[in-house]
Amino acid sequence: MYKIESQQVDFFYGNSQALKNINIAIKPNTVTALIGPSGCGKSTYLRLFNRMNDLIVGTRISGRVLIDGEDIYAKNINVDSLRKKVGMVFQKPNPFPKTIFENVAYGLRVNGITDKKVIEERVETSIKQVVLWEEVKDKLKKSAFELSGGQQQRLCIARALAIHPSIILMDEPTSALDPISTSKVEELIYDLKNKYTIVIVTHNMQQAGRVSDTTAFFYMGELIEHDNTKQIFTNPKIERTQNYITGRFG
Amino acid sequence: MSHLDIELQQLKVENIRMWSLVNLQLRKGKEALLNLDKDLAREVILSERRVNAYELKLDRDCENIFALFNPVAVDLRFVLAVLKINNNLERTGDIVEGIAKFVLNVDNTFDTRLLEITRVVEMYTAANNMMESVLEAFEKEDTALARKVFQQDELLDDINIKANAIIADYIRNQPATIEPALYLLSIIRKLERVGDQAKNMAEEIIFYIEAKVLKHRSKVEKDK
Amino acid sequence: MEIDVEASLAKSKKRNQAIAFAIIRILSYSIVAILFIILSFIVYKGFSVISWDFITKMPEDGMTKGGIYPAIIGTLCLVTGSMVFAFPIGVLAAIYMNEYVKDGIIKKIIKQMTNNLAGVPSIVFGLFGMTLFVNKLGFGDSILAGSLTLGLLALPVVIRTTEEALKAVDNTFRHASLGLGASKWETTSKVVLPIAFPNIITGLILSIGRVSGETAPILFTVAVYFLPKLPTSIFDQVMALPYHLYVISTSGTNIEATRPIAYGTALVLIIIVLIVNLLANGLRKYFSKKVKMN
Repeated sequence: MYKIESQQVDFFYGNSQALKNINIAIKPNTVTALIGPSGCGKSTYLRLFNRMNDLIVGTRISGRVLIDGEDIYAKNINVDSLRKKVGMVFQKPNPFPKTIFENVAYGLRVNGITDKKVIEERVETSIKQVVLWEEVKDKLKKSAFELSGGQQQRLCIARALAIHPSIILMDEPTSALDPISTSKVEELIYDLKNKYTIVIVTHNMQQAGRVSDTTAFFYMGELIEHDNTKQIFTNPKIERTQNYITGRFG
Repeated sequence: MSHLDIELQQLKVENIRMWSLVNLQLRKGKEALLNLDKDLAREVILSERRVNAYELKLDRDCENIFALFNPVAVDLRFVLAVLKINNNLERTGDIVEGIAKFVLNVDNTFDTRLLEITRVVEMYTAANNMMESVLEAFEKEDTALARKVFQQDELLDDINIKANAIIADYIRNQPATIEPALYLLSIIRKLERVGDQAKNMAEEIIFYIEAKVLKHRSKVEKDK
Repeated sequence: MEIDVEASLAKSKKRNQAIAFAIIRILSYSIVAILFIILSFIVYKGFSVISWDFITKMPEDGMTKGGIYPAIIGTLCLVTGSMVFAFPIGVLAAIYMNEYVKDGIIKKIIKQMTNNLAGVPSIVFGLFGMTLFVNKLGFGDSILAGSLTLGLLALPVVIRTTEEALKAVDNTFRHASLGLGASKWETTSKVVLPIAFPNIITGLILSIGRVSGETAPILFTVAVYFLPKLPTSIFDQVMALPYHLYVISTSGTNIEATRPIAYGTALVLIIIVLIVNLLANGLRKYFSKKVKMN
């Protein structure tokens, strides 16, 4: 029923507790925004879903994180397989120093796809999905670094989409982009939700209003409120949420 | 089309639906009045509930758009206009309900000739035309059409002003008919208010399209 | 009054800056000047000896005539041999240290050991090489023993520079790769190494430069003064340029007569190192471009 669930999740960086008893259930084909002041734990929480926090030494998690009903922190889980199902887009666009084509093909290659035709097809489809095809179709063999910031970020989204994940995690995907690129990416997110489940961390509350179906407000490692975005932005149930949204603190 | 554009379009569609319902109510009300059709009057009163439901929904839709999208410029003016038109429509609905209630309560001995002498029918027809025009102006974003409404309102004002004397005269000649005559007077007042509502809505439309504020200006200025 | 204070403050700042820049400029030029002086000196003294014969012919007549061809070949063999040994092992070790080992006591120990190894005097390497490769393992005085010894010398340089090259690769690329479901090795080999490669080549260049000129390690493990024939297997001894230079300047049968040859040898050695540097630089530029294109 739920695509993603966290049940009583606590998370620690060494001795410092970054997340306290987080309970969130996310439905499939929705966009969920995570908002809150800096350091509130929203990025940490996001990275639980593809276990990127594992890369940091000394971290510890308790509670359960379920994707499609399975606990992804169970012993028998293959992290590489998990990451093929759960894609990620980062704050600063980070295409590889490779050609535009190879950037998108990379994910396919490391997933064992070697058929040239299949790769070409998927690369084209993904780049079309992010509305970048017309802009790059004649320069697929050029370096990805020749693209503008907004184009690079869309390329990174295409790179993530190429391996057909079912969930896409976005960590402040537009904070490094200009307003026009930002709105292009936001439109893209709105279109993508038909096929994917998206969780997006954003510093920009108006962005949460524009793109998300539900919003979760984090503060100092705790989940303060999680509700339909419409509700949160017209009449949040908790005063702290209202204070944050109206800009009256943090 | 962006997400916001989709929402704005849906808002417009909803508003048109409500408006069409209110115009339909007006037409039914006129027919009920002409024929003293109590069944039709009951229909109108029942349908008023739907009008109220639309008002609540549109209010909430506007609130959501403000909260989620922070519209600016023409988008902002549009949502503000819809919010106000919503209000006008709801009041118009109330007015029609009032007219229908009169029809329900009226005696069968009511002299329908009075309807002709006071030109109530003419007035009602004019009011309906105004509402149709303004709806069309809203749908087509036609400010010229919206402006026509100010002229049409003159007819309503004219009839309204003359009604006092006519009815006073009638009452003097047939004192037993005071009650229905007074009811009729109140209907005339109500219809005059329908005209006002239509005018307000026209002003809102011109405001959101041209960013011109025509409220509280003289007739001469408005016709420009 | 205030304006005066500000103006004079600005003046003295300007003056101090000018002085600082002047000092820096003088020091920089002097470094270049020193290099220039050394090179000119060697070119001047050794130029007369350089000829096509000198480079391509075998030595004759007690080293007073003929060429140093075998020494050139010998040096090239040893440089190649040492790199064959040090480069793969060094790069892999650096990859292991930087990408796989977690921060902790073990990592600290290994790092310290590597640094210590870098500080070991080259003569000690020579003795070690002699004991282990020449004697214990029975390779005898040979290219093999010499290459292995020089390789050990070069190893810490390769490891350190490769480590720095890997560290310089922004973590965000690793994250992006892992986020796509690539394994750590796939990430390292397909993303990190290609990016770090130009800088790793720099490490290669440095090691080659170091190794070409080392005399002590080859003293007891491979070098011979007079061997007018080319090596045919890795178990052969060879002549080598630095060793040759040493012997010719200090012992030899006729020091005065062979002095010019010493300078000539030094010049050849410097030129070889220069050529290798240029080639390696070219390689580096080529890979730098490839990093962006691939």
